[in-house]
Amino acid sequence: MRELTKFRRSSLGVLGAATLTLTLAGCGSSTSAVAHNVTLVFATQGLGTEAQATNAAVAAFEKIHPHIHVQIETLSASSNNAYQSLVTDLASGSATPDVITSDVIWPATFAAAKWIMPLNQFHPKLSAFFPGMVKAGVYHNELYAMPWFINVEGLYYRTDLVKTPPTTFAQLISDAKSAMSKNPKLMGLAFEGNKYEGAVTVFQDVSGGFGGAFLNAQGKPVINSPQNIEALTWLDNALKTGLTPQAATTWEEGNVQQAFLSGDAVFATNWPYLYPLAEQTGSAVKGKVGFVPPPVQNGTPTASLGGDSLVINKNTKYPQQAWELVQYLTSASTMMHRALISGDPPARTDAYTASLLKTAPWFKQEEAVYKYATPRPVTPLYPQISAKIQEALSAVYSGQTTPTKALDQAQQAIQAILNNNGN
Amino acid sequence: MISLYPLVYNVVLSTRYDVLTQPGTSHFVGLGNYQQILSNAHFWADMGRTGIFMVVSVTLEFVAGLILALVVHQQFKARGLVRASILIPWAIPTAVSALLWKMFFDTRSGFVDFALHALHLPGANMVWFNSPTLAWVPIIVSDMWKNTPFIALLLLAGLQTIPLEIYESARMDGASAWQSFRSLTLPLLRPAIMVALIFRTLSALLVFDVVYVLTGGGPGQSTEVIAYYDWYKYLVSLNFGVGATVAVIITIFALALAALYVRLLQQRGEFLS
Repeated sequence: MRELTKFRRSSLGVLGAATLTLTLAGCGSSTSAVAHNVTLVFATQGLGTEAQATNAAVAAFEKIHPHIHVQIETLSASSNNAYQSLVTDLASGSATPDVITSDVIWPATFAAAKWIMPLNQFHPKLSAFFPGMVKAGVYHNELYAMPWFINVEGLYYRTDLVKTPPTTFAQLISDAKSAMSKNPKLMGLAFEGNKYEGAVTVFQDVSGGFGGAFLNAQGKPVINSPQNIEALTWLDNALKTGLTPQAATTWEEGNVQQAFLSGDAVFATNWPYLYPLAEQTGSAVKGKVGFVPPPVQNGTPTASLGGDSLVINKNTKYPQQAWELVQYLTSASTMMHRALISGDPPARTDAYTASLLKTAPWFKQEEAVYKYATPRPVTPLYPQISAKIQEALSAVYSGQTTPTKALDQAQQAIQAILNNNGN
Repeated sequence: MISLYPLVYNVVLSTRYDVLTQPGTSHFVGLGNYQQILSNAHFWADMGRTGIFMVVSVTLEFVAGLILALVVHQQFKARGLVRASILIPWAIPTAVSALLWKMFFDTRSGFVDFALHALHLPGANMVWFNSPTLAWVPIIVSDMWKNTPFIALLLLAGLQTIPLEIYESARMDGASAWQSFRSLTLPLLRPAIMVALIFRTLSALLVFDVVYVLTGGGPGQSTEVIAYYDWYKYLVSLNFGVGATVAVIITIFALALAALYVRLLQQRGEFLS
């Protein structure tokens, strides 16, 4: 595959250059011909109801813009695999996909590589969007990504087992323990502990609660701060003391979801998508679910920001039409419809209309958590920073090292990455 | 052309500083990337782990493959069916079989856990993937399951070229089954063994998908192999210069290993003829 990638990269580069030249050459003459039929390729993730919502939005868009046809290219449901195929496409200089759904952590990398287009030229109106989401799309003071839907890693709890949701980590432990003492089959806290991105977002929640951060305001790494060591020690103790089962060291969102929906967990970290599933008929925890910002201890409530935004390929032949599509998809009414069909939480406040809240009342609780949405570091080097944090977490959870040593090592590695000689 | 172009391109790329997130900074650095990689402890740690994996997995697969080949070489009912069915694991894509084994080794609902529990063996309720040493067990088992049939097939083909008469005369000379296996079967099977070992050793050196699917190199870095490191350089760091360098170094190692085997094969070959 590697060789193939390289082959495509260069050969498509030539092809891309050729098409670009052709486009530029054609520019002069084609401006007069307005009623041109245009096909946009829209690369996006999502299956089931998410795909349904995308199809409906695209069909409505085509109705308003009869000269634009949108071809949906479905990317792998696995974020890593989707990222890899996008990197392959974009590095080759291909003109398609024109519009791309991007995880909030990708735009900085894409922008630094000059694969996507700055959007300020289209004068986007951003006042209605959640500021954290907007911030995740800004690189070197230019906006590169329009927020599409927001996601936060928050804390789920069982309203029948815990009277008032905990606001401190100590309280979370005592609440969990008292529920566990009444029913020994329960686990206190389910969280994502596998070596992957989800473990980093959980750690960010706890780290922020203890007053820690990954990078400071100057962009320097502060991974081995006393606050972060405390945070990682807290998570590690949850595993060691049986508050969280050992098996959680291999868990991703799906496993945490399973543990919580089956009624086995008092608390669980997860994303908003879980809420409608929990309230679905037949769910073991229907009507017994609450979603709150993660607790604190000397820090501020921190809910790691996820979600998707839309970016435009720099080599697209139809930037104006691509922007039309982005604008349509990120409008309040499209977002509201998407929320109704698929449960994806709108990235703008004005989409949380009375009719949405009536059909899906949990969005009200979710909205309260979005206030604390905190983006992961917005830098093209984030994937490497994250990999080092993942290694540190995994090494600690598996008992190979202590939180202090692991984070010291991560600090060094991330420092080296930022100094441009890392591994 | 199809294999040469990317190879040459890779070698050229390995002499350049080429990081995709820093467009416009690509430049020639000579052997700088090689110096950087070869003096890197992380690289050698991954090479070491790959080496151990290579020796352990190829040895186990070879022994299992040889036994399997000897079994299906015997005369018995439905032999064709059995011979065909042992190839099934080999026909399943590695990523799929690795996922399958990941589920089997799951702590709460996995088959392995269930079986160990039922047999009252230690290891039930074990979190396999959270142990720096035990995480290798699913990786090696998955790799064996997939690749043993391949070795068995090659050895079976080798076995069928050995004329049955020589066993006949050995028996008349009073040789035991073990003696004729050691002094007849093994030496005559040597060419097939060499071919099987070369193929398996080289693909074990390049092992990636099993590790990527099962552990992601974890816990920590304890199952990280060299191909994973290369993938990381290309697709996480987007550092194509260094990624190409690692790829070239792996290629050189692979060629050296193949050359070593071929030498061994030639020396033994003189013996045979």
